[in-house]
Amino acid sequence: MMDIERSDIDPAMAVIRCRGRLNMVAAPALRACIEQSVDEGHTRVVVDLARTSFIDSSGLGSLIGGLKKARQAGGSLRIAEATDQVLNVLRLTNLDRVLRPHVTVEEASRGW
Amino acid sequence: MSLDAPVSAAAVPIGQPTVHLSLNSAIRGEDDGDDRARVRALSSLHILDTAPEERFDLIVRLAQRIFGVSSAAVSLIDEDRQWLKSKVGTDFVQGPRSQAFCDHTIRGPGPLVVLDPRHDERFRFNPAVVGAGGVRFYAGYPLTVFGDHRVGALCLWDTEPRELDDAELILLRDLAHWVERELVSDAELGRAAVVQQSLLPKLAPVIPGVEVAGGCFPAREVGGDFFDYYLIGSDLQVTIADVMGKGISAAIVAAGVRAVLRGSTRFNDVATAVNRAALSLEEDLTETSTFVTLFSARLAPDTGRFTYVDAGHGLSAVVRRSGALDQLASVGPPLGVVPGQVWYEQETDLGPGDTFISVSDGWLDYFDSVQQAATAAVGIVRSLSSAQGIVDAMGRFSAEHLATDDLTVVVLRKPR
Repeated sequence: MMDIERSDIDPAMAVIRCRGRLNMVAAPALRACIEQSVDEGHTRVVVDLARTSFIDSSGLGSLIGGLKKARQAGGSLRIAEATDQVLNVLRLTNLDRVLRPHVTVEEASRGW
Repeated sequence: MSLDAPVSAAAVPIGQPTVHLSLNSAIRGEDDGDDRARVRALSSLHILDTAPEERFDLIVRLAQRIFGVSSAAVSLIDEDRQWLKSKVGTDFVQGPRSQAFCDHTIRGPGPLVVLDPRHDERFRFNPAVVGAGGVRFYAGYPLTVFGDHRVGALCLWDTEPRELDDAELILLRDLAHWVERELVSDAELGRAAVVQQSLLPKLAPVIPGVEVAGGCFPAREVGGDFFDYYLIGSDLQVTIADVMGKGISAAIVAAGVRAVLRGSTRFNDVATAVNRAALSLEEDLTETSTFVTLFSARLAPDTGRFTYVDAGHGLSAVVRRSGALDQLASVGPPLGVVPGQVWYEQETDLGPGDTFISVSDGWLDYFDSVQQAATAAVGIVRSLSSAQGIVDAMGRFSAEHLATDDLTVVVLRKPR
């Protein structure tokens, strides 16, 4: 099971924390959470993956889909504190170039 | 949805033998057109006359225990008969629709509770009711699929009179919803699996000096994996791709990707073919919010020249005759992620005794790390001497382990 929790940092930015396995079961919930955040004006989204133990192609899909959505709204999506498993999958698929991993949420929150 | 009508608003009044609980929605008449559509919906589930399945038996056993009744069943109403997919406490398998309690249940969106059928005009002469040991209590909740087709009921009955309170009716509704999800998920899975299987080459091309084998081993979740190989002149074109997502939608996108690639590879080198395909697919992939990881390669059998494009696939390697492992690096993102992306060709060679292997990310699911997954795959390649043997071994591994994702494998081998 995955816990997804959103905190709005300022009127334009939100941090979404994902805890657990980001697979096909959890991906639609993350996707919906990102879309809702963007729809409500928080178009700069940081996804905190510190507690995400596993990601598969559906999970990657929710991040890429969220990134597209945020960009369309004039914002963007960044990921932070990804675990080794998540980083490995990002590198394998070359998606680390599209979703550049940030070391900390704090770092990801700066300089949009 | 009509099924979520609050059942608690309609308790069963004592002393009134039969109650249709969704009083606010009219009981549907015997409309032939409606019933034909309903029977078609049932038939599209491909469940009639199939063997018992634990996923339904479990719900039926639970229902029997929770409600403490003698019998419970998943009952389906075909054009002219009632057929039980799953049952406990009865040997009844099927009977005429005209005698089915559940045929009355499916006429309304809510539950049907019959407190004593001996006092109900519709059931008092029913063979199941008449005489000692007959049915004295019945409760059924309609099973609704594809929006509004009530194909059957989750039903309980007993030879002793009893009642159901509001909380029990809610429980019965929840169990019925569970049965509905199982009915539909299997139909979806079946259709997706059919699409997926139809995308795969039936036979490997015969090429002197190269063994070609591939396999796609479906799991509970059918995804958008496929592989393809065919000859272009004397060269062998090999493709392995994974569309992000699961089920019928991923399978449909996969069918499109395969068709576009089949067209573009025919007249272009590997990189040009991928770039043209990516351009054609960009709009589709954006609109469906999906992406595709792809490995596309061309082998010249006589020289062993092997050119390829890896678009975010990343799970391909050549195991050399010496046993050494050359991982083929992925240098571009998947298709459908970066608009206007261009992919470049890379090159290696396949010599005598070398084995090329590419797997889908389903293989990673069995292991704790990418490294372990690679080690296991290489172990299998090194221990076997034919391309087909390697594919079969990986398929057996997939069947023996708990697979959540499907696994696709392609192997090319040049014998020594």
